[in-house]
Amino acid sequence: MKWQASDLSTYFQSKEYIDTLCIPLIPVSISNESDSIRLANYKRTLDILSNELERHFTGRIMLSPTYSYQAKSDINMEKKRLNEWIKEMSNDSFSHVFFITFDVLWKKEEKELDGTLIWIPANRIDDYQSDETKRWINQQTEQISELIRSFW
Amino acid sequence: MSEKKQQVSRRQFLNYTLTGVGGFMAASMLAPMVRFAIDPVLKASTSGEMQPVVDVSEITTDPQRFEWTVKQVDAWYTSDVTHSAWVYKNEKDEIIPLSPICKHLGCTVNWAGNESYPDQFFCPCHDGRYFKDGKNVPDTPPNAPLDLYEFEVKDGTLYLGKPVPREGV
Repeated sequence: MKWQASDLSTYFQSKEYIDTLCIPLIPVSISNESDSIRLANYKRTLDILSNELERHFTGRIMLSPTYSYQAKSDINMEKKRLNEWIKEMSNDSFSHVFFITFDVLWKKEEKELDGTLIWIPANRIDDYQSDETKRWINQQTEQISELIRSFW
Repeated sequence: MSEKKQQVSRRQFLNYTLTGVGGFMAASMLAPMVRFAIDPVLKASTSGEMQPVVDVSEITTDPQRFEWTVKQVDAWYTSDVTHSAWVYKNEKDEIIPLSPICKHLGCTVNWAGNESYPDQFFCPCHDGRYFKDGKNVPDTPPNAPLDLYEFEVKDGTLYLGKPVPREGV
């Protein structure tokens, strides 16, 4: 399910089946050109990945809108905010919470997060239409799906 | 005689001019309206069009998943939407193109996705199962068979259209 009106009405009818919350974590920064281009590229890739994941598991995953934060902000603060966010959002109806990110900073804080972190080593993609990219996306989705299924 | 023929009274002249100008104005107002009325009918074919998916020679008796991408034009943006189908040939050599969307809550089902049921479609979310012909296995969450795509074969290529829902068991 996605965060959109039509999916949400299905969600409220079949709440007991949708027990997994997925939150993409996206750092944002516009301080210099190369960093911001890189981060924007990662954001697009993560959007594609999380949408593919949602397509596989529509009936069990709720894909949250992206959690965005400043790339330079204090990770401890973000961690606290994120945990509060989950507390509010999951509201006992999600027994599994997954974060998907390219940002390695979260990796170190993993244990203190109220959910499972899926950190994907970043891959700068230049041509989204190429077969190579499609294969990479498929493989990643496949592996993340497998990981999530092992928790169910 | 000829003089009389060419005579146009002021009233006639005004009548002609007004009819002409009025007609022209009416036409320019009506033309876009007619276009608006007809356009959706002409446009409807973009998403419902048959899409070339795979060479018929690649289809085997085991279901295989094929994907294709359609440009979907929304009011606000254009996006590429990936569709997929499980396609196989049955004993009568008929092509069976099934939609992979689970009828329970819309996950993607996999052929032989569960080791215990190697000849069924399996939905990883809530263990929904379907027989090879797409009929839902009773006592699993789905309550309808997988949709069957409209299809046609042209010059050795399989074209798929819209998924059509079937009656539940």
